[in-house]
Amino acid sequence: MDAAVEITDLTKDFKTGIRGGWLRAVDRVSIRIEPGEVYGLIGPNGSGKSTTMKALLGLVAPTEGSCRIFGSDSLAVDSREKVGFLPENPYFYKHLSGAETLRFYGKLCGLGGRQLDERVTELLDLVDLAGARDRRLGGYSKGMLQRIGLAQALVQDPQLVILDEPTAGVDPVGSRQIRDLILELRGRGITVFLCSHLLEQVQEVCDRVGIIFRGKMVREGRLDELLAIEDETEIILRDADPALVGRIAELVAADGRASLTHTGKPRTTLERLFLEETRKREEARSSS
Amino acid sequence: MKTLRQRHRHLLVAAILLVAGVVRLPLERGLSDELLDAGLLQPSVELETRQQVGQSLWAVALGGLRTLVATVLNLRADTFFQAQQWTELADAFDTMTDLAPRTRYYWDIGSWHMAYNASAYYQNRDDLPTLRRRAEWRDWVKRGTRFLEEGVRNNPDDWRLWANLAYFYSDPLKLVDDARAEEAYRRSWETGNALPFIERAMVYAMARQPERRDEALERIRAMSDDPRAQVPAMLALRYALEYRADPGRDPLELALEVFGSEERAYRILGNHYLDLNGRFPNDGVAEAVAVLENRLAIDEEKSIFRERERLQAMPIHPFDDSR
Amino acid sequence: MSGSRPRLLNPGRVGVIARHTFTQLVRMKVFYFLAAFALVLIGVQFLDLPVHHSPESTGVQLLFSIKSAATGTMTLFAVVLGVVATALLLPKDVEDRTLYTILAKPVPRLDYLAGKLLGVLSLIFVSLVIMDLLLVGVLAVKTNAVVAQQLAMADAEGWTAAMKANLEADTRQLGPTWSLQGAVLVVFLRAAVIASVALLLSTFSTSTLFTTVVGFMIYVAGFFQADARDFYFSGGEGMGMAGRIGSLLVAVVIPDLQIYNVIDSVIQGEVLEAVLLLKVVGVTAFYVLVYGFCSWLVFARKEI
Repeated sequence: MDAAVEITDLTKDFKTGIRGGWLRAVDRVSIRIEPGEVYGLIGPNGSGKSTTMKALLGLVAPTEGSCRIFGSDSLAVDSREKVGFLPENPYFYKHLSGAETLRFYGKLCGLGGRQLDERVTELLDLVDLAGARDRRLGGYSKGMLQRIGLAQALVQDPQLVILDEPTAGVDPVGSRQIRDLILELRGRGITVFLCSHLLEQVQEVCDRVGIIFRGKMVREGRLDELLAIEDETEIILRDADPALVGRIAELVAADGRASLTHTGKPRTTLERLFLEETRKREEARSSS
Repeated sequence: MKTLRQRHRHLLVAAILLVAGVVRLPLERGLSDELLDAGLLQPSVELETRQQVGQSLWAVALGGLRTLVATVLNLRADTFFQAQQWTELADAFDTMTDLAPRTRYYWDIGSWHMAYNASAYYQNRDDLPTLRRRAEWRDWVKRGTRFLEEGVRNNPDDWRLWANLAYFYSDPLKLVDDARAEEAYRRSWETGNALPFIERAMVYAMARQPERRDEALERIRAMSDDPRAQVPAMLALRYALEYRADPGRDPLELALEVFGSEERAYRILGNHYLDLNGRFPNDGVAEAVAVLENRLAIDEEKSIFRERERLQAMPIHPFDDSR
Repeated sequence: MSGSRPRLLNPGRVGVIARHTFTQLVRMKVFYFLAAFALVLIGVQFLDLPVHHSPESTGVQLLFSIKSAATGTMTLFAVVLGVVATALLLPKDVEDRTLYTILAKPVPRLDYLAGKLLGVLSLIFVSLVIMDLLLVGVLAVKTNAVVAQQLAMADAEGWTAAMKANLEADTRQLGPTWSLQGAVLVVFLRAAVIASVALLLSTFSTSTLFTTVVGFMIYVAGFFQADARDFYFSGGEGMGMAGRIGSLLVAVVIPDLQIYNVIDSVIQGEVLEAVLLLKVVGVTAFYVLVYGFCSWLVFARKEI
């Protein structure tokens, strides 16, 4: 079976300035994503993430190497039948409403008639924009734009979705909605290729990640493998008094080989805290 | 390697543009010629016109809107006319006709302004010395005529413009040139679009030239079956020319042959005899009128001869010393 | 899901992009220009000159004014929109990244370009049709009025029936004729050529300003192309080899916009034969295809 994405030794040079200068944006990068996987490409701004995605979509031609989607070359138009793309900070046509936007992209993919109408309604429900269906995109918030962008990427029911910084500039609530959508896509067996510099987000949704830095792939692997610290073991206790903790410390000291590196209160993430608090307020308001 | 490909593309595009350009050159050329032949394209505007028009209007004319500029200039020309600025007016018309040479209206109105309005203006300028008035009058009549000559050169198939030019040549208040008038009427008639009166006017112009009178008579005889040629002026001319061809004929007999009755003969020949501006041949006319006055017992007071003397005493033309 | 559809120039897909471009322009309020056109037509009514010396010159100026002002305004609208809208839309899609989302769908770049051009052209066409209807209406009313005025004056001067009929036929030639409809079509054709030139320019350049300025320069130069061509074919008298090659280059690269000046002659009452009109359409199609094809060649490999 063909890989969903197969990038082989991709190299991309850009000309800088008027005369002479060359910049190697991507340097012999290879990525293989199996169908159904969620893959995260992480790296700082300007590390070559977006260029890799553009090459995969055929928007730029590789200087060397090749990109394939489900076996067909990215430079061929039909490679894009099976792929949906959400660019970073997408600006859609402001004069179109949410539904019109989806219809437009649907028609570009050859959809039409009742099939398209149903698909538009379905997608607006999926991204929770049914209420803003007929509002022009000029009046959408950042998070709404990102979600309509995601819906647009899904319009022809692609088997691969490419998301470039899907939560950039979106508030935590919106960000969480997008995260949930990505998880839902995974649930449906859709391959997701995600690229972000927000590590936490990648950590939450991805099966595999690659770290790209200055155009080169520096690390790649399954997330749990990459993150596990092999020589450490975590014990989390509830309602333990200090005497118990003292006894455990003595046990460890008696072992001779193991050592206790840290005791203290575990911390929640700020994101989790923020979401917890806003959810509580929301519930309090709706119940009163 | 990548940019090499890109550069190849640009070279390819340049090559295609060049080849397509070479291919279309003869096509465009052929079409241009066809359009020119059909009178649908106009020659390039002259440099002088460009200066006349001024920068901003010139830009508009460049944008393929020559007639629009001509229209604007025509409005401007009207203000020159109101202000009686004749030189500016004439220049404006020169420019307009250069921009829109196929518009009869501009040739028509422009020549009329020059040959009639401007010349009359100087004719009436009592504050100027007579010599100057006459010179200006003459210049403007000539300028208007030349302008119209240019007009027929640009529109050789426009019968009305040829006819206008012929009026200019035969107007007794202008600089009369019967040979040219005849030629202009002929060109008008030969367009095939002119109305029958143009052919008659051509015959009148012929008849005004003594050396062309034999041919005029032939032409009249050829037309005599055509009911549209049976207008009074034509009949009177026919009488005079027939008499001229055979002066031995009896005037009354000839008049009855041409006009049918004595009353009609008297009315038409009388008017003909009184038409001093017409400058038509009058062979046998006085004789016939005298016989007819006698036979119809016309009162001495109402005699055509008396009327003619009165008319002759009146000056027709302030500057014309040819007669 | 749609593998059986033709890959390039799929009419449905081109139509979607064209229709979208059309609405995009409509929502940019370009139709306000139609109101300006109506104002021009109304304003021109007051330009009748009071000076007449004969029935045949009476009111004719008014008909010329209406026609030249109307076709002038049409040309202005069509050419400006053809250059500016074309120059604007492509870079705007790149800048707004909407182009990414469109080309990330299975849309060949040729279809995208064709759709954009078709969208601009159909907007120009529809606008011209509306303007044309207004023009024909106004011109018909005014021609009738002028004919009535002329015949009244001719009666007063004792013209014969034949002379009056001839005069009326001549004057009606200056009214709404089929040739005038042909001239309006020629206005459209000229705009189509300059729009396709602007399309080619905008695939090269990233600057809307550059495309617009160069587009208008080519428009103006197009009126001299025929002169350069004639100069070349005449043997370039009085100028050396360099002059001849230069004039050939101008003639080869720049479109001949002078053939579209038939509009001027039609306004003056000339008849535009259908055959000649068809030939003008043919030459226009040639221009649009060549410039369109070159645009695609550049755009197909453009890094965006």
